[in-house]
Parts: sequence; C-alpha cells; structure tokens
Amino acid sequence: MTRQELIDLIGMKAREILPGLDDHAFAGTDRLVDLGANSVDRAEIAMLVQEALSLSVPRVELFGPKNIGELADLFLKKLDAA
Amino acid sequence: MSLVGIEALNVFGGTAFLDVAELARYRKLDTTRFENLLMKEKAVALPYEDPVTFGVNAAKPIVDALPQAAKDRIELLITCTESGIDFGKSISTYIHQQLGLNRNCRLFELKQACYSGTAGFQMAVNFILANTSPGAKALVVATDISRFMVSEAGDGVSEDWSFAEPSGGAGAVALLVSDRPHAFQVDVGANGYYGYEVMDTCRPMPDSEAGDTDLSLLSYLDCCENAYLEYAKRVSNANYRDTFQYLTFHTPFGGMVKGAHRTMMRKMVQAKTAEIEEDFQRRVMPGLKYCQRVGNIMGATSFLSLASTIDQGQFSAPRRLGCFSYGSGCCSEFYSGVVTSEGQARQRQFGIEQQLNQRYRLTIEEYEAIIRASSAVRFGVRNVVPDVGFIGEAYQSARGKGRLFLREIKEFHREYEWLS
Repeated sequence: MTRQELIDLIGMKAREILPGLDDHAFAGTDRLVDLGANSVDRAEIAMLVQEALSLSVPRVELFGPKNIGELADLFLKKLDAA
Repeated sequence: MSLVGIEALNVFGGTAFLDVAELARYRKLDTTRFENLLMKEKAVALPYEDPVTFGVNAAKPIVDALPQAAKDRIELLITCTESGIDFGKSISTYIHQQLGLNRNCRLFELKQACYSGTAGFQMAVNFILANTSPGAKALVVATDISRFMVSEAGDGVSEDWSFAEPSGGAGAVALLVSDRPHAFQVDVGANGYYGYEVMDTCRPMPDSEAGDTDLSLLSYLDCCENAYLEYAKRVSNANYRDTFQYLTFHTPFGGMVKGAHRTMMRKMVQAKTAEIEEDFQRRVMPGLKYCQRVGNIMGATSFLSLASTIDQGQFSAPRRLGCFSYGSGCCSEFYSGVVTSEGQARQRQFGIEQQLNQRYRLTIEEYEAIIRASSAVRFGVRNVVPDVGFIGEAYQSARGKGRLFLREIKEFHREYEWLS
C-alpha cells in the first residue's frame, strides 16, 4: 500500500465520521482537528482505518502524528512490522 | 456463596455548581463541538471546602444511619484521591475524626488517578471476603477536586483544552462495604483488570494537571477493551450485549463514554449504529445523569455513575451492572454486580438528586473569582482562615444541611466546623 492510498483511506474514514467533507480533497498536510474532529472522532477514525487494514495494535501506539500524512507514515510502519 | 458488596453509597456533589454551557459561551468555545461533551453542570469547590469536607459530607449520612454497634464495626477507612493535601498524613485521619469512628480502625489513603476509588473498593471487598474480622465493615471514600485547572502540557493539550475545563468537577462518593450488600452485590471473582505504564494525564505538581487528552482517550479505549476481554475470560458465557442490563463507566465527560460504548458495541457484538444508539440510551444514560451534573471527580467518578444508575434505572427484577473503571497512568478494571428494587429504594433515601438540585448556582463572575481566590488554600499553605463571606450566599445555602467546612489551616493542621 502506498502512502497516498493510505491518505485516501484515512480521508474516506474521516468522511464517515465528520460531516461536510464530501468534496474535500485530502492531503498529507491536513490536520484532522482542523477538519472538525475532536479527540473522540480522531480515535474513531484511527480505529476504522485499523479495521480496514486488518491491523491490531494498541491504540496508544497510534498517538503522536500531527497530520494525516504522519498518521499514514505510522500506519505504513505498523503494516511493515505486522 | 460469599455475600459482599456495597451496603450503602452516597454522593456529595458540591455546595456550588456552574452551568458549563454558560462557561463554554464565555470562553467562546465552538458550541457545536461543545455539545458533544454531553456535560451540563460541574461542581466547583469553594475556598472553604477541600477534599476532606467533600469526603465527610458524602460519608456522614451513611454513618449517621447506622446504629452505634454497626458504626463501631467500621474497621477499615480508605481514602482514594489524587487531590491530597499532604504527602504523608492521609485524609482518612481527618475523615475518621469528623465521623467519630471507632479507633480500632485501619486508616490510609491510596492513589492511582481515576482508578483510585475502584482500587479502594476492591481492597475493601477482599477485606470482607477474607473474613479475618467477621462482621467488620469498611468505609471507602473517594474524593477529588480540580481547584486549579492549569494546562501545562505541550502541543496536544491546547487543542482540546475545551474538553478539560468544562468537565473538571469536584465531588466525593462514600461506600460502606460489608457482608450486607443491600445496594450492590458484587459478583465475586468476576474482575478483569488491565494496566501498564503510560504518560497520559497526571499531576506532577501540586494543584495542577498535565497531560494529553488524545493519548488518554486512546489508553481508555485500549483498557475498556482489554479489561472486558479479561473479565470475559474469567466469566464463562459473558456477553457484552446480554449479560449486563446496565453499564457504568468512569466518565471524564459524557461524550467520551459515548465513544467508548460505541467502540465496544461494534467490536464485541458487531452492533450497528441504530442498535448502538438505542443501547446507549437504555443501558448507559442512567449512569451519566449525575456525571453530567457534577463533572469529572476523578477517583470517585465511576461510583458517581454507579449511584446514578441505581437511582435512575429500572429494577423491577434484579439487574446485573457491568462497571468499567479507568485511571490514567494507568490501571483499569471491568467488574460486575447485582442491584435489586429493595436496594434502589434504600439508596433513594439519600436523596442524591435532590442534593444536586439544591446546590448554589454560580455566576461566571463568581466562578472566575473562585479561580483567583483558590490560591489562598493551595497545597502547602501553612496558615490561613478562608473567608466564608466570600460568595457568602453559597455558604449560607448550606445552612440546616449538616455540612462540614474548612474553618482554618493552622500550622498546616486543618480545622473544620459543622455549619448548623
């Protein structure tokens, strides 16, 4: 899976949780918080992405990324290690 | 079968409260996001209140209702708090004194952030189960206040500061634990515990908090899942949807519990959105009622949710409650017990909801004044006489209710008085 595919996947899951993003073109520099996601939303988006990737890592290991690109990089690392 | 559990529990949800929607407007928070918090009011500690007065005011009605002989059988008093007033001397000593308990009693305090109340409760349960002093009772008092909400952390925390201030409350829950579990009969051995080191939220300095809301939420969700899975390993045929007629949660704010419940229902029983919402309203909401009116009271919060469920639930037949407790740092536990209609009737005599209804409503100006005035009673103060004329209307509103207040700190020793 490429970085861009992961960013698209995160964007797709963000759309499921957050309203009004149907026409938004997601980029790696987007921050979920700026798109209206609170802590609960962000945790849920991360979980949906995990499920889509059939990944199972503790949620606390997904803490740290400051934008969608960094989150995608972290997921890529977890996929490599899986 | 060994009978053990909560004989009686009572809540003290403060003398004064603030409408948090008003606070949100005043702080210019995004009101649509704010609604997701699912919080309504929070109790605010006055400068002449402290974790001792909160704890005593919660425990007094329970102790007063006991015959002298039963009161004298309280042989263990554990205070559970992260709002300690001394690194050595425990709050339990003051509470023991104010309640006039038997001196043949173990007095100590424990902490593990918001898990502390559960830790104290489980230790008390095991003291009763061990039967080393047959017929003895234990009093567990979880008491926490957030007097100064100061953000000390970096990046993450500032974004969600909006969650912290409106949800940080003040309050105490007292539990009388014995072999007469009228209020909540524990399912003995049905405990799933789960803990590990994580730096999510903490109090590394007196009177202030540090931490990261996001990390704390992620850790809470990890624990919610893993504590329950351990419970299910130990309790054959446990099913998240059917075994428990009610679920109580440690409630930092209602929205977090809603998210955790949604996650658990999806993961454990593959529930869909419509079912999850109905289930939340039916099994979880009764426990959120009081939490929405007191705010996060740390070590006492999971029992605030329990008290709320017992008062607000339907118990035409005995019902099993699944209880989840989480404390940052972290440790967590999922356990269960049974509540009956008789237990609910006994509990309602404490009039917890009426007590919440009768609190003094603070204006924003008064709330801001409290934040400024509270430094007078910060950790380590050697001598002070708090002014009970400060927001005197709140103080006077407690008249006739048999409440304890802090009168003076004299050479570090705290002196209290009952307001008649």
